[in-house]
Amino acid sequence: MHLTGLDLLFWAAGFAENLALLLLLWYRRRAKAFPFFTALVTLVVIKTLALYFVNLYGTKKDYAHVYWTLAILDMTLQLCVVYEVASLVFRPLNVWAEDIRSSFVWLISLSLLVATGLTWMGSVPSPTWVQALTTKGNLFASTLLSELFVAMMGLSIKVKLPWRTHVAKIAQGLGAYSLISVLIDTGRSYFGVSREQPGFVAISHVRMAAYLGCVTYWIASLWPDELPGRTMTAEMREKMFTLQAQVAYHLQDLRSRKK
Amino acid sequence: MNTPSLYFPVAIGIFVSVLIVVAGYYYWRSRRTSQVSFENLFAQLKWIDRNNIAQVALDLVDPSGRPKVDEAAATMEPSQLWDLIGGLDGLETMERNSEVIIALAFYVQRWYPAALPIAERLRLDARELKWHVARLRGAAQKGNLQISFPFYAQRAVATYYLMTRRVLDLYEAANFSTLADLQRAL
Repeated sequence: MHLTGLDLLFWAAGFAENLALLLLLWYRRRAKAFPFFTALVTLVVIKTLALYFVNLYGTKKDYAHVYWTLAILDMTLQLCVVYEVASLVFRPLNVWAEDIRSSFVWLISLSLLVATGLTWMGSVPSPTWVQALTTKGNLFASTLLSELFVAMMGLSIKVKLPWRTHVAKIAQGLGAYSLISVLIDTGRSYFGVSREQPGFVAISHVRMAAYLGCVTYWIASLWPDELPGRTMTAEMREKMFTLQAQVAYHLQDLRSRKK
Repeated sequence: MNTPSLYFPVAIGIFVSVLIVVAGYYYWRSRRTSQVSFENLFAQLKWIDRNNIAQVALDLVDPSGRPKVDEAAATMEPSQLWDLIGGLDGLETMERNSEVIIALAFYVQRWYPAALPIAERLRLDARELKWHVARLRGAAQKGNLQISFPFYAQRAVATYYLMTRRVLDLYEAANFSTLADLQRAL
């Protein structure tokens, strides 16, 4: 595959930025808090390297095989990041908040329905059915992801569950990128997925630029620590724990009372 | 471009526009919530006669919040409950205040992460209060308010009363200087 100077520039910049983000996640000890997100960034680094070498030494068929295989893995990990964000927001005490379950199921169902409907509407002019299927898969996934991030944002505000800074930044970055990806995948569905198509290369560059912007945002947002909590005195800590115990006991008792 | 292919970009355009508007709205709300000061929150509290609230709640629970189990529990007459609570309007004011109480608890939790379980508990209690009030609204629409009011309203008030006590205890535990203001309001 022939690569232009701009292609190589995006490739190198993408690799450097993702590597920087990966190092940041480990160096600033964020990897433990966000294992799926770290796995996603790791995959992107590996993917960039693998595709570079397959492009240099492999055949066109090898490249397509590696590209689409890693794309599926990438999408799976993005869905895992959605789960990670949801579990950090909606499991404040390490159990799913009991009042959000039905709303969450309803929102996921609606998101799936809309994503399926939009994907079904698109028709992809592509050389092979595998590429057509994958393009539709990408459109489905980016539509679903963007819906889920907006739905989570809305639901958390409605039920008054706060977002911690880093979780919010990861979600905002991935949500914005998913939304841009919806437009890009729509363009791909429209122009086709062959490099010979005039719009394909331009659309690919827009996607890479959007992703670079997203990674830059994550690097800038995840480097600083979250607002540190104030130190509690021993007396304050004791009062707080006593209060927690009272709250749990009395309200459970009141609720269980039948008249 | 033929007709079927036009539907697709139009549908995507509508979809993306709607998502951007919804995301923008909720982003604006979340920014507004996270930057709110104690004074702003405090100003949102509506006045409710705390003596009446305590009287109604303490008919169902003891001063420490423990439910009463003897014959002395829930002895108030429905008309007395209605007057002390201020009817459905009074409960709706409590419902709005409960939202502010949650925000006040999360305000403390911003500095003291250990307050999270209390804030979460209060959040769930506010949902319970809303549930009781929703039942009464439904009963009012069906003309059954008089029958349902004593049961749901007294539980709602007891929940609200405990919420106010807990948020005051929380502010006391956190040594917040605004405790005195809050004590006057709640």
